[in-house]
Amino acid sequence: MLSRVADSIYWMARYMERAENLSRLLLSTQDLLLDAGEEAADESQFWGPILMTTGDEERYDKVHATIEGELVALFLALRTDNPNSILNCVRAARENARTVRDQISDELWECINGLRLFLESPEAAALHQNQRAAFYEKVLVASYQFQGIAASTTPRDESWHFLRLGLCLERADKTTRLIDTCSAISLDMPPNPLARPLRWAALLRSSSAWHAFQAYSSNKLNPVDIVEYLLLNDTFPRSFAWCIEAMHTALIALCGNGRLEEMKVPVRLLGRLRADIAYITMDEVLKEGLHEFIDRLQSKLNDIGASILQTFVLYGDSAPVIGEASFLAYHPKVEANMQIQQ
Amino acid sequence: MSSLFNDYQPGSFFDEMFSAPDSARAHYAGITGSIGTLSPAEYAARQRTADTVFLRQGVTFTVYGDDQGTERIFPFDLMPRIIPHKEWERVESGLIQRITALNLFLNDVYHEQKIITDGIVPRELVESASHFRPEFKGVKVPHGIYIHICGTDLVRDGKGEYFVLEDNGRCPSGASYMLENRNAMKRTFPGLLQSLPVRPVDAYGSMLRETLAHLAPPSVIDPNIVVLTPGVFNSAYFEHCYLAKQMGVPIVEGRDLVLKNDRIFMRTTKGLQQVHVIYRRIDDDFLDPLVFRKDSLLGVPGLVKAYQSGHVALANSIGTGVADDKAVYALVPKMIKYYLDQDPILPNVTTYLGVDPKECEYILANLPNLVVKAVNESGGYGMLMGPHSTKEEQTEFAKRIRANPRNYIAQPVLQLSRHPVFQGDHFEGRHIDLRPYVLYGDRIQVVPGGLTRVALKKGSLVVNSSQGGGSKDTWVLWDDE
Repeated sequence: MLSRVADSIYWMARYMERAENLSRLLLSTQDLLLDAGEEAADESQFWGPILMTTGDEERYDKVHATIEGELVALFLALRTDNPNSILNCVRAARENARTVRDQISDELWECINGLRLFLESPEAAALHQNQRAAFYEKVLVASYQFQGIAASTTPRDESWHFLRLGLCLERADKTTRLIDTCSAISLDMPPNPLARPLRWAALLRSSSAWHAFQAYSSNKLNPVDIVEYLLLNDTFPRSFAWCIEAMHTALIALCGNGRLEEMKVPVRLLGRLRADIAYITMDEVLKEGLHEFIDRLQSKLNDIGASILQTFVLYGDSAPVIGEASFLAYHPKVEANMQIQQ
Repeated sequence: MSSLFNDYQPGSFFDEMFSAPDSARAHYAGITGSIGTLSPAEYAARQRTADTVFLRQGVTFTVYGDDQGTERIFPFDLMPRIIPHKEWERVESGLIQRITALNLFLNDVYHEQKIITDGIVPRELVESASHFRPEFKGVKVPHGIYIHICGTDLVRDGKGEYFVLEDNGRCPSGASYMLENRNAMKRTFPGLLQSLPVRPVDAYGSMLRETLAHLAPPSVIDPNIVVLTPGVFNSAYFEHCYLAKQMGVPIVEGRDLVLKNDRIFMRTTKGLQQVHVIYRRIDDDFLDPLVFRKDSLLGVPGLVKAYQSGHVALANSIGTGVADDKAVYALVPKMIKYYLDQDPILPNVTTYLGVDPKECEYILANLPNLVVKAVNESGGYGMLMGPHSTKEEQTEFAKRIRANPRNYIAQPVLQLSRHPVFQGDHFEGRHIDLRPYVLYGDRIQVVPGGLTRVALKKGSLVVNSSQGGGSKDTWVLWDDE
C-alpha cells in the first residue's frame, strides 16, 4: 500500500473518531446539567473542562469573553474557525477519504460524504439550534455506521489495520483526556448517601460505558472503580487498555513481532506501554497521582503516533512534518475560511 | 394521447429525437411510449433522485476561478440520447480510421518526417505547435503508439451529418461520467433499459487496463500499472480515482514516485515497488521538472529519462499535443489520405487557419459569423462565439489574432443538433455533442456511445462542463429492428 494512502486512511479514521467523541461529550455534558440542580447555576465549571479536553481554550478565548454553554456547544460543533469542531473533523475525515476513495468501499465513502453534506447544510445548523441532542445523536449514528460499514466492507489487509490503528489511538487518547477532566474532583463517595457522584456518572456516559459499568459493578458508582474500569479493564471497547490491545493486534498484523533487534519502533513502544497497563494496580496509579499518570500515558501515545508515521510513511527521509502529522494526509485548514461564520 | 412530449418544439434544428413536432424517430419509439407517459411531477422526482445520488457519491468536478465553493455535480439530464446501430457502425469505423492516421502521423513526425518532406504538412506548422516536443525526436515508444486513449469530439450539423470538431489526444476526460450516467439510468429507468437492446459500456475499465498492460516492457509478465493524478485539488480528481478503482490499480501523485537506476518506484508501507505503466493525467509540461517546467511540483524528477530508457511506459505518450493542435487538426483529412490512402469517413468542420495570410484576412473580416479558437486551449476557454459576441470582444480578439495568427483558427458556426432536455416541468431542445472514447492497445476498441454533452443554457452552443454544460447517457443499440 502507498505510504500516503496508509497515512490518509489512518487520519480518516482518527478524525471520524474525534468527531464521535466530541459529540458524545457535548451530549453527556448537556444531560449532566439537567441533573446538576443548583450546581448548574455556574455553567462555566461544566463547559470549561470540555474546552480543556479538546485543547481549544486559547482559541475559544480569542472569540468569546465568557464561557457559556450555548457558545461552547456551537464553537465545538459547527464553528468553521475551530479546527477541532465536529464540522472540521468530519471535513478532514472526508477529504482524507476523498484522496483514497479508490481504496475504500463506495459505501464507506458515501457514509462520510453524506455526514459532511449534512453538517454543511442549513438543516444541521437549525437542528443544532433547536434540538441539540438530536444533532449529536445524528453524528454518533453516522460514526457507528462508519465503523459498521468499515468492518463489513474492508478487506483485512493493510487498509483495515491502518484504519484500526488510527481509530484506536484516537479513542485511547480521548478516553484519557476525558478521565483527566475529572482528575481534580474528589474520588471519595459523596457524604450524603442519597447523592450520586454526578460528574463520574457523566464520565461513564461520555464513554458510552454507563450500562456496561452498571453490569460490571453491580450498580455501585464508586469513582475509583469507574476510573479503573475506563483505564485498565481490557473487555470494554472504549477503555484505554482495550484500545492499546487493539492497536497491538493491528501493529503485529502490519509488521510482525520478530526478535527484539529487528522489532519496529512502534511495536516496541506499544509493547512496553501494554505491559505497564497490564501489571499496574489502581493503588499505584493513585499514588503517582491520576493527572500525572494520565500525562505519562498521553506522552507515550504521542511517541507511538510519531513512530508509526516514521516507520510506515516517512521511513527515514526528511519529508516535512507538522506537529503530530505529516503533509501527506489532509488536516483542517482554518485560516482559509475564518470569515464564514463571524 | 397526452404525453410529456406533446408541446415539444424541435424547431429549425436537426433534432435527435423528433423529425417533426409529435413525430419521434423510430429508434426513440420505446422512449416516447414509456417516459412520455410520466407526469411532469413524476419525471422531476426521478431527476431529483438521480441528482441526490450524484451528490452523495461525490460525482463532482471542480471549477477554477470561481469562489462559489469548489465542487459541483456535473448536471445530468435523464433523457437518454439514442444512436441507432447502423449510424454507430459508421462513426466507429471513422474513429478507428482517424486514430490510426493520427498515430502514424505522430510516429512520422518524431522520426523520419516523411509527411513534411513530401510537402503535405508544412514544417513550420509542426515545429511551431506549442505541444511539439523536439526532445522526443528519434525516441522509440512502445509499439510505436503515441495516443492510446483518445476522446474525439463529434457534432452533427443541421442535416444530421456527423463531423469531427476536435481530437483530444493528450488527457481526454469524461469517461467516468459516461460510466456513472449509465449507472444512474439503471437505477432510475431499469425497465426501459431492459426493454431496449442497449450496448453496455461497463467494460471500459477492463478495456483500459488491457490497453495499458499492452505497453509494459516485454520482460514484465504482470506489470504494475498506476494512474498518476495532479492530486485531490485537480478538477478531474473524481475521474482519476474512479478509473483507478474500475481498473483495480493504485492512484498515485508525483510525490509517491521516485526515480532509481532509470526506473520508477512507488513508496509503499513495505518499501519501494517498481512501476511499469503510468496512465498519466498530468500534462506534458508538469510531468518532469528536469525536462519541462522547472517549477512543477506535480511530476516526478527523472520520469522522462526513465521513459526514454524504456523501463516505464506512459499513456498517452509525450508530445501527442502536436496532433490535436487545432491548426494541425485542419490537415487530418490529408493525413488520412497520405498514410492510409482513404477518404475520411468522418469529415472535418471547415477550418480557417490564422497562420495562412489569406484565411487570416477572411477570419478578421468575418468575426461576427465565426467561432474563433485558440489552437491549444481546451475546456471552452479562449474562444470567441462570433454571433453571440459584443463589438468590444471582437475588437479584442482581432487584436490577439493579429499579434499571433498561428495561435488562432476559425470555423463557421455549426447549428449543432438538439435533443430534448427536461427544464423544470417540460422538455426543451438543447444543443449537444458527443465524445466517444477510443482505445489503442493491441487492437483499437471504441466504447459504444461515449459522453453526450449538453449546452444547458438556452441557445448556447458551448457544452463544456466548465461553461455550464451538462451530460446525458448515450445508448447505442445492438440492432435497429
